[in-house]
Amino acid sequence: MSFDLTTPVNTALLLYILYTVQRILFPSNSVPSTVPIEFKSGYSWMPKSHPPTLLFKTYTPKTLEPFNGEEGKRILLAIKGVVYDVTAGRNFYGPNGMYANFAGRDASRGMAKQSFDVEMLTPIDQPLDKLEDLTSEEIESMKGWMDHFSSKYIVCGRLVENDAT
Amino acid sequence: MGAALSCNLSNQYNLYCILLPLYILSTSAWNKKLFPPPLLLRLPCLSNSSRHMRFVSVKPYPHQNPHKRRTPRTPSFVSSRISCMALSDFLVTDDLTIILALVAAGLFLLHNLYKPQPLVHPILLGRQSDVARVRNPKESAVMRNYGTGMLGRFPVRPAKEQQVLLDLVKPDSDSSRTLWSTKITNPQLRQRVSAFGTGLIRVAGLDPEESNVLLLLNDGIEFLITDLALASHSIPSFTLSSPSVLTPVLEEHPPSAIVVHAEFLPQLLELIHDSNDGVHHTIIVVGNTDLDKHLGAIRLLKWEDIERQGAQADQLTPATPKPQDVFTVSFFATPDGQLRGTSLTHENLTAGVTSTRALLPLSGAISPLDTIVSAHSLSTAFGRAVAYTAVFEGTNFATLKSSQFFTAAETTSFDLADLKSVESYPIPSPTLLFAKPSHLTSLSSAILDEARRSSFFFHTLAWRHKFAGIVDGFLTKQSLWDRLVFDDARAKIMGKGAGTVRGVIVAGAPLEAQALTPARIALSVPLVNSHIHPAVAGPVLASHPLDLQTFPTTPATSGSSAADNFAFAYQAPVGPPSINVEAKLLGVDDVAVEDGADPIGALFVRGPSVGKLLHVEQGEENIPEEDRGWVETGQVVKLTIHANL
Repeated sequence: MSFDLTTPVNTALLLYILYTVQRILFPSNSVPSTVPIEFKSGYSWMPKSHPPTLLFKTYTPKTLEPFNGEEGKRILLAIKGVVYDVTAGRNFYGPNGMYANFAGRDASRGMAKQSFDVEMLTPIDQPLDKLEDLTSEEIESMKGWMDHFSSKYIVCGRLVENDAT
Repeated sequence: MGAALSCNLSNQYNLYCILLPLYILSTSAWNKKLFPPPLLLRLPCLSNSSRHMRFVSVKPYPHQNPHKRRTPRTPSFVSSRISCMALSDFLVTDDLTIILALVAAGLFLLHNLYKPQPLVHPILLGRQSDVARVRNPKESAVMRNYGTGMLGRFPVRPAKEQQVLLDLVKPDSDSSRTLWSTKITNPQLRQRVSAFGTGLIRVAGLDPEESNVLLLLNDGIEFLITDLALASHSIPSFTLSSPSVLTPVLEEHPPSAIVVHAEFLPQLLELIHDSNDGVHHTIIVVGNTDLDKHLGAIRLLKWEDIERQGAQADQLTPATPKPQDVFTVSFFATPDGQLRGTSLTHENLTAGVTSTRALLPLSGAISPLDTIVSAHSLSTAFGRAVAYTAVFEGTNFATLKSSQFFTAAETTSFDLADLKSVESYPIPSPTLLFAKPSHLTSLSSAILDEARRSSFFFHTLAWRHKFAGIVDGFLTKQSLWDRLVFDDARAKIMGKGAGTVRGVIVAGAPLEAQALTPARIALSVPLVNSHIHPAVAGPVLASHPLDLQTFPTTPATSGSSAADNFAFAYQAPVGPPSINVEAKLLGVDDVAVEDGADPIGALFVRGPSVGKLLHVEQGEENIPEEDRGWVETGQVVKLTIHANL
């Protein structure tokens, strides 16, 4: 047997071997200057952004009304002064949903009387519905709805009168 | 590479041992021309037409005339032969090729596939704290540890039986362990506590729930016994986190009795004399003093006498205190010199013990075989939590010399000599260190200096390999490079601790980001960077113990002050809130945060291990129940995407 290291194949293999041995014996110590945003791209990674959090805001009926889900906006809904972000339930509260009436409005009366009719909503420029004429069962059902919404959706604000701010 | 080797030890070593000599053999054989010249070379001509081997003689035989030409070939034959020859010229292979190919394949596998597994999966490091979905204006969202979750309940005690402080001394575990210089078992400790408690009531004349006792003791078994006795008899104790608050405390909250060491007694008497108050103090002295029993209105008693007389008398069994009862008030000074006190209940301490136990990974949890060494005095809330964790787990325990405040000597600095001061106690070699950042940096720089001194070339190579392992998330103390370089250095600096230390928890001051990698390489053990506060028993924020992420220095952000930029750029991340603390930041710039910047603000914490500050803000009663209880730590904190800084 004879060995010739100068043949191209042998040289190529030899170079590869030397390169790999060099990488094994002297590993790279570089820390990438831009932090990767995927855990697959590197061990020292960071997510791209902070987890999304909603700012707790004070809404009036007028400022709440735009948030009815049209054109991809958020869907907000108020019950007894507490504003819920129900964007996750776009099927129900979005523009073509069953309960689309409630989007962007104060839905307290509707929740109490278990009705989705438009008569349950008070117009925007009038003062908030005082809910004084509700029976105790209706108040109970409204509270039940509030619990349901608190657990399923996010509480993201409170509703005050139009001229309160 | 050393890390990779140690990962799959036998397989890789075998492979390496086979391939490397093969390679060396082949090259040396070629160099030394071990094979005689007139050899036939078999050249498999890898042309498209035929793949069978043909013998083509390249070197002339000695008897042949080298200048004799061979018969010229016909053109067509020449072209195909030339193409075949051209291709085969390039793809000429021989036995060496096979060997080299094997070696190359082996090295390829070695380099690419035998990468060490990270100690903790990086996906977990991207999700360390659970963040609420809503935040109030000018505040950040409330954050909790991911393990607890926003809907989870905070763990309040290590086990159901540990309701009050004395329950942390488990009565049924019988093994003896050394606390400072005393070898003691749990039942013996309980007996001493009961004896001392009886002595306090009968001899010193203290009233449960009426008197309060100021503990001016340095850390030691007497502190522990006194503390447990006072807690079990529902007598509140006062502790000071530094000697400077002694005078204000004596003025504003005069105690009924003071427990003090003999060497600090003269200073204390001077202070009391200077303050001139008419309260009749009872002073219980630990150690020998040659002063009279009565000094004016002051009654001096000896600690050992009280314990002895208490043991001889009928043991009193006090009513068990409730977990929500305050058993101690810890006084500390804010950075601007104001006196603050925080009242700690039994529940705060049991919750503190729970969160301190959770600092280490489950695979390396604290066990009775450990020896804990703490740099935090028992007079601080965190120091107490660490000490009671040691007592609960049945480990040996000692504190460093720098935690002894109440001495006539000068204060010691937090460095290597301080760490070694623990050798004066008859405890086994330490396994867990609860140290301050300056201890860590001095220890790691000493180890690295020693390693560099002993073998410079190997040290740089070892550093490269270990750092490459860290970049991949893997670190071990048993790698090849440790054996070659670092073990000797560690043994020289730490003595027997080099082999036994298996975890370091750093708390008490910000740790610099630059010190993190040297410390990780020098010690090669799980390192926890945590943030503590005098009002919280247990850590407030603590990093993941197996977290080895290394980030480049964070660039300065616009919109924050220069001091903040400097501070946050150079500090190592402290991680998420501990398992039973929730945290939020106040004073956050809403506009910047909505744009995606990192929130920076004052840290407020709440949880079962957070004590109540003594001075209550006005209007606290107006805050609704779910918003109550937030304690201001007075520290500015920046939230990076998965960890706090």
